[in-house]
Parts: sequence; structure tokens; C-alpha cells
Amino acid sequence: MSAFAWNILLALIWIAVSGDFSGAGLLTGFVLGYIILGITLREVPAFAAYVRRVPKIILFAGYFLRELIRSNLRVAWDVVTPTHYMKPAVIAVPLDAKTDGEIALVANLISLTPGTLTLDVSSDRRVLYIHVMYLDDLEQVRADIKRFEARVLELLR
Amino acid sequence: MIDIITALSFAILSIALVITFVRLVRGPSLPDRVVALELMASLTVGFIGVHAVSSERFSFLDVAMVLALTAFLAAVGFARYLEKGGLRSDD
Amino acid sequence: MIDVLVALSMLIGALFMLLAAIGLLRMPDLPMRMHATTKAGALGSGLIMIAVALHFSSSEVTARVIAIIGFIMLTAPVAAHVIGRAGYFVGVPLWHKILQDDLKGKYDATTHTLRSPDIDSQDIEQPPRDH
Repeated sequence: MSAFAWNILLALIWIAVSGDFSGAGLLTGFVLGYIILGITLREVPAFAAYVRRVPKIILFAGYFLRELIRSNLRVAWDVVTPTHYMKPAVIAVPLDAKTDGEIALVANLISLTPGTLTLDVSSDRRVLYIHVMYLDDLEQVRADIKRFEARVLELLR
Repeated sequence: MIDIITALSFAILSIALVITFVRLVRGPSLPDRVVALELMASLTVGFIGVHAVSSERFSFLDVAMVLALTAFLAAVGFARYLEKGGLRSDD
Repeated sequence: MIDVLVALSMLIGALFMLLAAIGLLRMPDLPMRMHATTKAGALGSGLIMIAVALHFSSSEVTARVIAIIGFIMLTAPVAAHVIGRAGYFVGVPLWHKILQDDLKGKYDATTHTLRSPDIDSQDIEQPPRDH
């Protein structure tokens, strides 16, 4: 993550030089520093990986927000209409994330995507137990969760 | 216009608070009540946000920040109490 | 323009919080109530906070708002996890229409550990889907 530290340093230098001590100034410095790092140090592997990662994180944030709103609306519909369409189930999903940090992030993001709620991780860290609200097709739901996990892990590794 | 919006938001949040209170009273189990209490904390964070806009004073946001954190600690405390052999049922 | 955004964001946020409350009241069992409160509650308070940031549009308010949203996004799922786990331990009944429960019998009440499903059981060893 030292590439990130360099980017912060460049942003701070921008603030000091421009004299604009504000959030907007920091953001400007950060974007300019990112562009400079992307152009000048594109041969260095560590910096190139960092430069490639930032757009991915922004894309993922957009994808996550869309998921959040789309499936919130589905739950909303179910809450306000008189009949319950839920097909709840607790399912076990094998986990590809290995370290504590990866597992924590994957579990948190799964909890925030409506329709799925992480209940627990098995003590040997092989399996995530997830409460699913709409189990239309077990295979489909499991594949969706695995695809989501793969997207999160791609950002971290 | 912003006055009408904040008044409307206050009304909606108040209704939500009353509904949450019904669940808090009805239970039926202690974890259900803890979930209701947690939602009350988030509702209060919302209230503080709306009040900050309507009163044009943003110092209240610090309270919201602390509230968001302490509500979480309360939930963790309750959960540990239940798991380590607390009250099995409360009705 | 900003006023319209503030109004929209605040009203939709408040409505999502109302939705979380209705969900908490109407959902039939504990995990599904938590579905309603963690997601709709977090989204609702997040939207109201975004409205606050847009209304004041100064960096000190924005910093606080980002901190509050970050705290909520970090803590809501963890709180749902600890309460759901405690509820399962205490034996809060699940809805009678639940389709399957892989968690059943996996908790060890004395050591507080959680077993994973057996490796040879067919519900976990699925060939990866290809597409």
C-alpha cells in the first residue's frame, strides 16, 4: 500500500503549494497525484497495480450501490404488500477468502446486499452461513454469492 | 420549501419510531427487542440529521456520530450476555 | 437545484427508515426482521446524512457525514451478525415456512464453536457452474 501513501503525500504537497486547506483541495491534490503516478511510474509493478486498482474500486462502488437500491426495492415491495412472497433459508456457502480481513469484508458486504444476511463463519473458516430471503433456486443463489465474493476478492488481491 | 420537507421527514420518522416501539413492546424474544432498540438508534441518527438541516446548526452531527457507535456497542453487549448463558426467554 | 436534491434524498431516506420499521413489525421471524432493519435502516440514515452534507456543502460537515456513514456501514452488518448468532444460540424460533436450515445442529453450546458441513455431504460440494 506504499503507492497509496505516495499518493497521499503528493496530495499533501499540492495542499501546501496551492494553500487550499480544504476537502476539495485534498481531493484535487489526490486526483492530480494519481494521474502523475499513473503516467510517470507506470513501469513499476507496485505502482501499476495501484493505478489499475482505483478504477476497479470506483466501478465496484457503483455496482454495489446499484445492487443495494435494486434489491432494497424488492424487499420494500414485500414489506408493503399484504402477502409474504419470501422463501427464507439458511444456506452454507464455501468461502474462498482466507485472511480475517478478507472474510470480514466479504461478510459485511454480503450483509449489506439486501436478500442476504451473513449469520456466521464456521470456526474452521471454510464456510459462510447466510440467511437468504428469496431462495428461488439454490444453485443460482449460491452462484450469485460466489460471483459477488470473487468481485470483492479481486479488489483486495 | 426546505421547511416543508423537514417537517414531512420529522413526521415520517416519528411514525417509524412509533412502529418500532410496538415491536419493542411486543417482543416476543429478547433478540427481537435488541433489534428494535438498534433501529431506534438509527432512527435517532436520522432525526439528528433532519434537525441539523432544519435548525441550520451542524454541531448535532457529533452526537449522531457517537450515537451510531454506542448503539453498536450496546448490541454487542446484549448479544454476549445472551450467548454466555443469560436469560433464555423473557416472557 | 441543490435544494431539490436535499429534499429528494431526505424524503427517500426517511421513507426507507419507515420501511425498515414496517419490516421490523411485519416480518415473521428474527433473521427476516434483521434483513429489514440492517439494510433499509443503513440506507435510510445514509441518505439523510447525504442530504445534510448537500445542504451545508462545507468540508467540515462533509467529513462528519462520511465518518457517520462509514460507521453505520461498518457496524450494521456486524451487529446483525452478533444478534443473529445470539438469537440462534438462545433458540429463537424460525418461521415455519423456512425452506432449509444448514445451520441446524452445527453450533456447539459448550465450546461456542461452529462446525462446517461435512465435506462429503452433497449440499456443499457442488461442481462450479460454467458461465
